Amino acid sequence: MIAGARLEPGRRYRGLAGVLVTGFCSALAAGLLIVLLGYVIAQGWTAINPSFLTQLPRPVGVTGGGVANGIVGSVIIVGIATLMAMPIGILTGLYLAVYGRGFAAEFIRFLAEVLSGLPSIAIGLFAYTLFVQPFGHFSGFSAAFAFTVLMLPLMVRTSEEAIRGVPIAVREGALALGLPDYGGVLHVVLPAARPLIVTGLLLAIARVTGETAPLLFTAFGSQFWEANPGAPMAELSLQIFTYAISPYDDWHRQAWGGALLLIAAVLVLNIGARLALSRGSKRR
Amino acid sequence: MRTRMTRRASAALIAGFAASLGLATLPALAATQLTGAGSTFVYPFFSKAFYTYSQSHSDVTVNYQSIGSGGGIQQFIAKTVDFGASDVPMNSDELKRAGGVVVQVPVALGGVAVTYNLPSSVPGGLRLTREVVSEIYLGKITQWNDPALVKLNPHASLPNIPIVSVHRSDGSGTTYIFSDFLSNVSKEWKDKVGTGKSVQWPGTNTVGGKGNEGVAGQVRQTSGAIGYVELAYAIENKMTTAQIQNKAGKWVSCTESTVRAAAATKPNVSATDFSIVDRSAENAYPISGYSWVFVFENPTDKGRAKLVRDVLSWTTGADAQKIAGTLNYVPLPESVQETAKKALAEVKV
Repeated sequence: MIAGARLEPGRRYRGLAGVLVTGFCSALAAGLLIVLLGYVIAQGWTAINPSFLTQLPRPVGVTGGGVANGIVGSVIIVGIATLMAMPIGILTGLYLAVYGRGFAAEFIRFLAEVLSGLPSIAIGLFAYTLFVQPFGHFSGFSAAFAFTVLMLPLMVRTSEEAIRGVPIAVREGALALGLPDYGGVLHVVLPAARPLIVTGLLLAIARVTGETAPLLFTAFGSQFWEANPGAPMAELSLQIFTYAISPYDDWHRQAWGGALLLIAAVLVLNIGARLALSRGSKRR
Repeated sequence: MRTRMTRRASAALIAGFAASLGLATLPALAATQLTGAGSTFVYPFFSKAFYTYSQSHSDVTVNYQSIGSGGGIQQFIAKTVDFGASDVPMNSDELKRAGGVVVQVPVALGGVAVTYNLPSSVPGGLRLTREVVSEIYLGKITQWNDPALVKLNPHASLPNIPIVSVHRSDGSGTTYIFSDFLSNVSKEWKDKVGTGKSVQWPGTNTVGGKGNEGVAGQVRQTSGAIGYVELAYAIENKMTTAQIQNKAGKWVSCTESTVRAAAATKPNVSATDFSIVDRSAENAYPISGYSWVFVFENPTDKGRAKLVRDVLSWTTGADAQKIAGTLNYVPLPESVQETAKKALAEVKV
């Protein structure tokens, strides 16, 4: 407040009320998250032990067992999706930021926006029609395809923003030093934008890691070890879903354990994204 | 001037991915994996039965996923699974869409229990006639202290609170069996609502829940609620269930023996004549039914089809049905086991 300036009292109270209301809402949002995390930890931690992390699921009535195949399946499916979404997403972002102009660029941006608004179950059905029905069997690959589609709009948007954030003078400098245009983009602009691109990538991975709906009709689920993406595969969030709707206490406990694992994984990814961002800005 | 950080990040990513591949390939077996999908009701039984089967047949594993009866039929028709499972046989329209002769095999037997939530417990369990159940779901009996309910339960202190009827919101074989029962006992229900995997629920004070879990949850949370869940589910979750007066006038609870008595009235069950609700036998529980599996009579992949047939023959046989008994299912009567064996013999492999 400027020294000596006197505010009309009504305005001061309105200001105070504003601070209180927004503060209360922030506390509510943060509180909800803390309660949720606390509840999942309280319910889930008893389920987590070495056999939960290393063993296959057991059938009903046989106690113990774990979700190891689901963890492996998640890593493989998300891994394949990342490998597919990364180049397409980054290069599209690059095109939009550097070369894209006029109608074509606007149209691509519009499409990416529409894509990001599609419900994930619809994308799962799309993958089902494209890869499950014609081949006559469910597969980890069809799930990875659905995840790729989910990741793409996020990747495109963050990559475009990241590359746009690099000052045009940097690119001009590269040209002035005699680098060809593609060289300047590849060796100067992209590396400068990299921390933000990595952040976007990690957030996109975190986004799909918790998805269940697109897996129902693609990955299908499995009680067995399966590393072949051409076959039905287990996936952690899918396993949580199956266990959660079952009538068995032991499975409920394992569902909470799985949920805790997933939350931990997403948390690690988010922290990774923040680290990538802070280290990148320090270097610059 | 590649930044070290991201190179390390991508290297770690690729290494992690490769490591997980390597880790996963080690324990992989050379067994043929069959896939099946459908009924959530049979899932616990199948998961135990197929696990047991694979221990003595190391060349076969069965991956069964419980996506619901409706989903099981759809995936079977789309030929994305080796077999489908449902709590209701396929209807003529579905059979037409399958594009080949379908063999339907009875595989499990169970009952549908009526569960409720009242503020004070009813000694000996709430008693409901068949007509009262239908009138509650039709929305004609709306209060717990309705004279009809008080007359049936003179020793209970029934409160003056509204009855909330809970039903399945998803397409479900359990709903089929329950609505089949209501159609049998009430002409009004039959004309107004009918029988199906999902129906238009008539009452005004009615809510839906997804799966047995959803219905159980709604009943547990709502004072004055009434709902229907599978027997195995009700037992496993220690839910209070009502006694129903059957056609013979006897009060019966949903148990293994009363469901077995209902099944015994129709030894020659078939995919076109499968209903065992509201039977007139003395001890028969009136809301019971079979689950079915589907395979094609003339499959294209004979090798896989033979494995499927062998697994299902074992599953419908005495050893596996004994396992079903330990999981609160009702083992198939011997005559029905025989029916299953004959049906599976029709599969050309």
